[in-house]
Amino acid sequence: MKENVIEISHLTKSYGKSRGVIDVSFNVKEGDIFGFLGPNGAGKSTTIRSMLGFLKINSGNIKILGMDSVKDHEKILKNIGYMPSEAWFYDSMKVSDVIKYAADVRGLDCSKEAAKLCERLKVDTHKKIKQLSLGNRKKVSIVCAMQHRPRLFIFDEPTGGLDPLMQKKFFELINEYVAQGATCLLSTHVLSEVDKYCKNAAIMREGRLTMLGTPHIDDETFLSFYEEEEG
Amino acid sequence: MRSVLKRELLLNLKNLLIWSLSVGALGLVCILLYKSMEGEMKDMADAFSNMGAFSEAFGMSTLSIATLKGYFATEIGAVHGLGSCMFAAIIAINIISKEEDAHTGEFLFSLPLSRNRILTAKSLCVAIMLVLFTIVCTLFYLLGFSILGEEMPLDLFFTFMARQFLMNLEVAGICLALSSLTGKNRMGLGLGMALLFYAYDVMGRVIPDLKKYLFIGPFSYANASEIFTNAQFPLSGILVAGAALVCCIAFAFWYYGKRDLAS
Repeated sequence: MKENVIEISHLTKSYGKSRGVIDVSFNVKEGDIFGFLGPNGAGKSTTIRSMLGFLKINSGNIKILGMDSVKDHEKILKNIGYMPSEAWFYDSMKVSDVIKYAADVRGLDCSKEAAKLCERLKVDTHKKIKQLSLGNRKKVSIVCAMQHRPRLFIFDEPTGGLDPLMQKKFFELINEYVAQGATCLLSTHVLSEVDKYCKNAAIMREGRLTMLGTPHIDDETFLSFYEEEEG
Repeated sequence: MRSVLKRELLLNLKNLLIWSLSVGALGLVCILLYKSMEGEMKDMADAFSNMGAFSEAFGMSTLSIATLKGYFATEIGAVHGLGSCMFAAIIAINIISKEEDAHTGEFLFSLPLSRNRILTAKSLCVAIMLVLFTIVCTLFYLLGFSILGEEMPLDLFFTFMARQFLMNLEVAGICLALSSLTGKNRMGLGLGMALLFYAYDVMGRVIPDLKKYLFIGPFSYANASEIFTNAQFPLSGILVAGAALVCCIAFAFWYYGKRDLAS
């Protein structure tokens, strides 16, 4: 029986009077690639940011790798590789410095893994961050998220800005790490990614979560979640 | 935490060099000008000491600018006070909020560090910057005294620099607390605070009714003319400074630890 890597129960988070997420509960098992779908503003990023401790939740419980997300915040982050939807770094730093900085803060020497990832993703480590396009910044973000070989990956719309070849390489890397025991939460708008790579999926709408019986849904069913919300 | 501290020091190095070299060099040039103005100083000193509230505000009623001690206290004292206060405000006002303003927070806060550790590293960075700033300026001023070869009471000079450092810490503490409140760049607010504190001190020395409330402001205990005339030890001002510093830093840690971080 595989363990739950993510256990979220009755998570509620609001921003003053604005809705964030309401009573969200779901589990992600070890070795899963879990698709997290939903329209813009549905609450996907709020859920992810609550898991990472960026947001203070109103009620509910979040356990990651069996640890409490509030009490064991630092321990949890040691085992997570996070890639935000917009990859921003310090403009004046060189790519190699950013990658080393992320490893240094973790107290790890990740140079071998980082070099392997940079080679596969064709990352130019000599450039300064301010010289990079969004796609290239995303590649740096992938390296920072993967170089320490975490037990859990959290990707928030990771493929936006990446060219098709890089998207393919990115998913190859995820599959390799998952085959070695990692787990992945993939927040995305791209149904084909969920259909092709995910084992389980859930969809968020207006702050509430609905588990999908299968990640292999057709376009019409998928779009109906968006249309119903507009209606 | 050491990596974050190192990164912050590197990110702020340019600011430190620009401000410490500018304020220090300006002070040095002013000190060196003393020799060339020495002949005219006597008449100027008489004129400046009889300008009523203005003389009072800038300490020229109690110190003669015809001596190096008086010249330093009235001229360089003001330049260093205002310059160092602005530097302290600039360094501290964005040290926390810049992460959210520049969207680098998601990268930094996803690393395995608590917010307290990050804030400790950033606070230490501000303190180190102020120590280095004070050392650089002190060296410039000592160089000026040594070139002039004039007598300067070094005990009073070091007391002045130490109190200025405390004033810088207090201003930085207040700005650090302000920086913890939002994720927006507040450079204007920081500079405004520095100028406000300076103006409060000048007004407090000119307006008699304000004089008894002078100790609230950070400039009150760091006033060069009072230090160089061995005025009474400003205990209340220093106690207020210590309390303000501790309260502001504690507030920054408390508030930053509980608030949501912007993406």
